[in-house]
Amino acid sequence: MTAVEAPPLAWEPLPAAEWDAEAAAHLLRRTGWSAPPAEVARARDEGLSRTLERLFPAQPILCPEPPKVVKLKADAPELARGLAAADPAELRQKRREARERTQDTLQEMSIRWLQFAARPENAAFAKWTLFLGDVYVVSAEKVKNAALVWQHSDLIARHSLGAAPDLAKAMSRSPAMVNYLDLNQSRRDAPNENFARELFELFLLGEGHYAESDIKEAARAFTGYRQQLGEFRFAPRQHDAGPKTIFGRTGPFAGDDVIDLAYGQKAAAAFLPRELTKFYLGEQALPAADLAEIGDFWRSTGFNLRALARRFFGSRIFFDPSFRGTFIKSPIQFYLGLMQDLHLDVPPLPRQVLPPFRQMGQMLYYPPNVRGWVGGRSWINSATLAARRRVVEACFAPLREDLLNADEQAELAAARNEGMKNFSVGDSALGPFEALDSAAAADRLAANFLALPASAEFRAHVRTFLGDDHVDPARRRQRLRRAAVILLQSPEYQLC
Amino acid sequence: MSPNASRPRFPTTRREFLQLTGRGIGLLAFSRFAPAFLINAARASTPAPETGRPILVLIQLAGGNDGLNTLVPFEDPNYFRLRRTLAMAKDQVIRLSGTAGLHPSCAELGALFHDGKLAIVQNVGYPNPNRSHFRSSEIWETASGSSEFLANGWIGRYLDNACAGAPRDSHDPMAVHLGSSVPQSFLGAHEHPTFGLGAGSGNRRENEENRRLLESLCQSPGAADDNASFLRHTLLDSLVTEKRVQRVIGDYRPALSYPTNAFGTSLRNVAALIADGLPTRVYFVPLSGFDTHSNQANQQANLLATLSQGLAAFQRDLASHHLDDQVVTMTFSEFGRRPSENESRGTDHGTAAPLFVMGSRVKGGLHGTAPSLDLARNEDLAFTTDFRDVYATMLDRWLGCPSTAVLGEKFSPLPIV
Repeated sequence: MTAVEAPPLAWEPLPAAEWDAEAAAHLLRRTGWSAPPAEVARARDEGLSRTLERLFPAQPILCPEPPKVVKLKADAPELARGLAAADPAELRQKRREARERTQDTLQEMSIRWLQFAARPENAAFAKWTLFLGDVYVVSAEKVKNAALVWQHSDLIARHSLGAAPDLAKAMSRSPAMVNYLDLNQSRRDAPNENFARELFELFLLGEGHYAESDIKEAARAFTGYRQQLGEFRFAPRQHDAGPKTIFGRTGPFAGDDVIDLAYGQKAAAAFLPRELTKFYLGEQALPAADLAEIGDFWRSTGFNLRALARRFFGSRIFFDPSFRGTFIKSPIQFYLGLMQDLHLDVPPLPRQVLPPFRQMGQMLYYPPNVRGWVGGRSWINSATLAARRRVVEACFAPLREDLLNADEQAELAAARNEGMKNFSVGDSALGPFEALDSAAAADRLAANFLALPASAEFRAHVRTFLGDDHVDPARRRQRLRRAAVILLQSPEYQLC
Repeated sequence: MSPNASRPRFPTTRREFLQLTGRGIGLLAFSRFAPAFLINAARASTPAPETGRPILVLIQLAGGNDGLNTLVPFEDPNYFRLRRTLAMAKDQVIRLSGTAGLHPSCAELGALFHDGKLAIVQNVGYPNPNRSHFRSSEIWETASGSSEFLANGWIGRYLDNACAGAPRDSHDPMAVHLGSSVPQSFLGAHEHPTFGLGAGSGNRRENEENRRLLESLCQSPGAADDNASFLRHTLLDSLVTEKRVQRVIGDYRPALSYPTNAFGTSLRNVAALIADGLPTRVYFVPLSGFDTHSNQANQQANLLATLSQGLAAFQRDLASHHLDDQVVTMTFSEFGRRPSENESRGTDHGTAAPLFVMGSRVKGGLHGTAPSLDLARNEDLAFTTDFRDVYATMLDRWLGCPSTAVLGEKFSPLPIV
């Protein structure tokens, strides 16, 4: 891997002269899932700065709360009373029902979020919240309550374009986080260090930028954080209000003070930009000087997340040729990119849509551990590649409505009422290609789907596969469909 | 596999590769596109044993097979009381004992039973049964308790256990499933090479053409970037497996003709892969349509005939290739059906049911105890053998893997293998 030469003024905006359709497509692919031609044209015409204003707007774009989450929240007090009153035999039964309900709700959340994120106007914002959720990780595996998991994502979305310290404080109070990192177990006499450690190591500073004693003292400051039925509660009697020494300063610090102290540390400024680089640019690390430079800028904005995003995605560095077409798509990006590239709607069918995510190695709401997903090459092995190939094939296979149960048919009808109609690639979808000769069709397929220009040899193979220009239209259509499938399965399509 | 003299051929397995390199054909002969696992194999030079290991074939009867009409208690008056229209007549069942007989569609399975090659475990289920297809399948596939939610399947956990520490240089699949989606049973804590085989035959020529294009695309010059070449190599590796599997299936000559339906073809293809000596330990073949809420009689008769004829052909084919000692085939279904038939001449979701275990190394006969049918209307069967006892049998006594490592607790193996 070649190290990126830091050009002078790396974080200066991309010069207007370099803003073209390729640059716009790069921006859309990396901030979102794909580069639909209409969106590329719009971004190119609007210019970089206005496009960034739109992709990272002043107000968050919230995903509507799924109906099952609404209902689960409304029923929570009654469910809790039921659990409290149950005898041991009933308790097993009720716990089981609660788990089944949470699983069911998580499935609806996944589908609704995918449908939300697939819309081009939501893509960049949705991915940005996915990024922040990969920093402030919680897992449904441990939290075990779908409503809390949803609330956590919603909190991230609401704070995702404001001041980072406010986000961190909201995260420390997120009921899902209170459970996930054991704040609810942390008592005045027995502080639990789990949250304090991850706060410094994974959320704010990074390893090596704090001492063990800082963690121990910070853990005391977060004692008394509780949650009840999805509401944050502070239990003063469980809180240790005594003096603590953190980063060399002493005072009767509370949780919020610890977060402010951490942001006062030098390491805080470059930490999130480094995470941002890993998530959006890949494993290749930027030189420390570059991270320090954007960190200084970020600190000067009061750690404003929207300002960071606009600076980062508008910079010369972001558009450097070494970052174009070299990033391995995550399973979520691969899937949502397919939806956009093929003009498909996400079917409201958890049984069909969600298992492939597991096989591809990324289940929404179930990150592997507190570090989140590793990404990059860890996404790829023979099993996950096979799963990606099957996802492409499934997009081209007609939906087998006869195999759906009554609930699923009702969901499908409801989605159609909302205007979602394309659940698989129909015969007409490749219409624009049918009039072209094989050489032109091959070029256009490659240009349409791939992030980088395909080599002449690559296009020649596709052209040969498409065969004779003068076969009958039905045969031609079949050939085009098969060529499209294979192009989407190719190594090049896994990159953006 | 014999080397084919008429065309230059790339070695497709580690063993072939080692044979070739042993004969002095060096690495250089394989151009820049030698799959990574072959190169690694050359470094390691330690072929793992690839044949002779026990193999388990799982047959999923999807939808919930009606156990009472599969293994019929033809002397029990309660059976005739509960099954007013659907009961099998006493003189039509294939008698296995003084009280139990197979559905008349299962003639071939009856013959295997009398040959001692078919074990039937009666009344298999689990405590607090769940009657949702989805959830109960999940319970069976993850081998969980009824109120326990496990992320990984029992076969996946078996592979986690069996493959721990094994070199990751082979892309030969450890588990193969028929059909497009990976069964939940296969999901493990680690990724294992698994392979999905299209159900039925598919269009061989089209598959071949598609694969060839993908292969050419992988070999076309592209970005010099590390990620791009990593992706190309990984994909080429898995295409090597796919090509091999397709060739093996295409070249296979079964000893007899299989029934001409998708299930028969699937079993034929499984036999082809077993005969080729793939290191695959588990095959998974679904047969669906057992959700017989109405007009059950014909549907179930057809499905059981498909099952019986397919399994018998598979067993005979294995035997004539002298592979029957190596393979055990087992059926399972997410639940049995309600003992009382419903008003639509069908049956609703129930609980326990018998399952079949077939093979030359199997201790044939009836195992476990028959369900009590002294039931009120719409009451369900109370299971007498836990399905995890059957899994423990397969793990401990057939696959040679400590069952507690996979099942999390001690279950009691049955004397069926």
